Amino acid sequence: MINYRNYSVEEFATDEKFRQWILDPSGEIILFWENWLIQNPDRHNAVNQATELLLSVHERYKDDLSEESIQAEINAMVEIAEFSKNKNRLSFLNNPFWRIAAIITLISGLGYFYNRNHLAEKTEVASYASMLVKRNITDKEMTVLLSDGSVATLKKGSTLRFPNKFSGDTRKVFLTGEAFFDVTKNPTKPFLVFANETVTKVLGTSFRIKAPEGANTVMVFVKTGKVSVYPKKEYETLADEDDHEVSGVILHPNQQVVFNKKENRLEKGIVENPDLLSESAQSQELIFDDQPVAEVLRTLEKMYGIAILFDEESLSKCPISTIFKEENLKQRMNAICQAIGATYEVVDGQIILNSKGCSH
Amino acid sequence: MNNDINISGNSDLNANLWLKFKSGDAAAFGELAQVHYRALYNYATKFSSDPEFIRDCIQELYLELWERRSFLSETAFVKSYLLKALRHKLIKESVRLKRFKEPKELSFDADEADLSIESLIIENEHLKHQIKRLNQIVSHLTKRQQEIIYLRFYQNLENEDIAQIMSLGRQSVANLLYRTIKEIKDIWMPAEFFWGLIIIAFC
Repeated sequence: MINYRNYSVEEFATDEKFRQWILDPSGEIILFWENWLIQNPDRHNAVNQATELLLSVHERYKDDLSEESIQAEINAMVEIAEFSKNKNRLSFLNNPFWRIAAIITLISGLGYFYNRNHLAEKTEVASYASMLVKRNITDKEMTVLLSDGSVATLKKGSTLRFPNKFSGDTRKVFLTGEAFFDVTKNPTKPFLVFANETVTKVLGTSFRIKAPEGANTVMVFVKTGKVSVYPKKEYETLADEDDHEVSGVILHPNQQVVFNKKENRLEKGIVENPDLLSESAQSQELIFDDQPVAEVLRTLEKMYGIAILFDEESLSKCPISTIFKEENLKQRMNAICQAIGATYEVVDGQIILNSKGCSH
Repeated sequence: MNNDINISGNSDLNANLWLKFKSGDAAAFGELAQVHYRALYNYATKFSSDPEFIRDCIQELYLELWERRSFLSETAFVKSYLLKALRHKLIKESVRLKRFKEPKELSFDADEADLSIESLIIENEHLKHQIKRLNQIVSHLTKRQQEIIYLRFYQNLENEDIAQIMSLGRQSVANLLYRTIKEIKDIWMPAEFFWGLIIIAFC
């Protein structure tokens, strides 16, 4: 038994048992300190001060992180860890013998794999190491920028898995929950959304997907462009591109499809609720009247929670006037760039603006 | 050094978890990461007010441990090591992200928002008052002093761990801590005996 008789305020405040009594009391601990105080009435002062110290420090420095948020973060990490394991199986390469053996195997296998490259791309596993996972645990919608400039607006509780950089001849992302996509046009690299047993394929368009975790249905709503939706099973078994058209459903603007998992069936219809076709439920109107571009960019930065990097100095003399209504982040960035003769690129989920400044 | 191998409090469970982690069990990794997640997050909020940035940094920190799992010893998951690594990462990342702006050194900077005493779920007026006063005293300390008070009394770390995290000598930590506590005490009147406090603490 520890002798608390001669404990100082600091010693009390850092003692595990004392801290438990003050911060997270339970029956036994309470009983212990209650008795101890009765036996040591002259130590009340020290105990009081330690209590006050502990409580005020905890009050001062507490956080508002919920247990659910922690769990969501841990789950996301476990998921990434799971994926990166495939890559790590190669860690035996640290042994020189195996390294040489592997190089020989690699060289002899190269020719073979060269021809099969196309197929290997489809299985994807190799590039999981650079996958990012974004989970929206906030109450607001979350804007996610992809390396090709496409924008996904994630609803609360939804998760999007995507590569740091799109490589290969497709752009693949994985969705759980609901998101609105505005995809940058690239006819040579179709954009594929995998969600709950479905694959949605587009070349460049905007649409919303609702794929709640564990639910039996997936819904796709198209705003602009053309989208094809396939049951995942069919998409993967059919190797030939053209065959996809057979099992898939092609959607035009204002059309929707509901995928029934149990029956593995796609059902086409018209979008009845036009809200589903807007990027965000809270699309805000923004008016800028002769404002410095830097200020406009900072407003967007805040609004979407996405870092926009630019050279303050060269843009300090560029005022613009514009009204934003229903545009999404991409359209807004394009409009600004056009106005000031700049370009932008997306790197690591941030926007980098390249501008030579304005002459006028 | 506080090389408390017992990361999660239960040694049997812990040894088992550790072996699973080493063998590449992602779920075990998740359990290990969970032990000090809140402590890390809380510490990071004193350097950045951007929760997204903080989450990314912590995620990266843990995933780096995962990648190096076959070379790690259990000390890698000890709280003070994690806090130190996170501090480094926060500073490094914020410099990288702000590469277009003046790289400013990150420092310990708790939210200065006035502590709303009304939010305290303590009924005792005297205790409330004392807590508010202490808070005022702490808010007038230097950033280093505040960090040391935070690490000692919030995170409950030993002087040696604090020295590690703040990259200070052990003696400097002891001196700084002594000085800080003395400063607090000098202003903070000794609390009178107050029986009510004890009763409240029991509730």
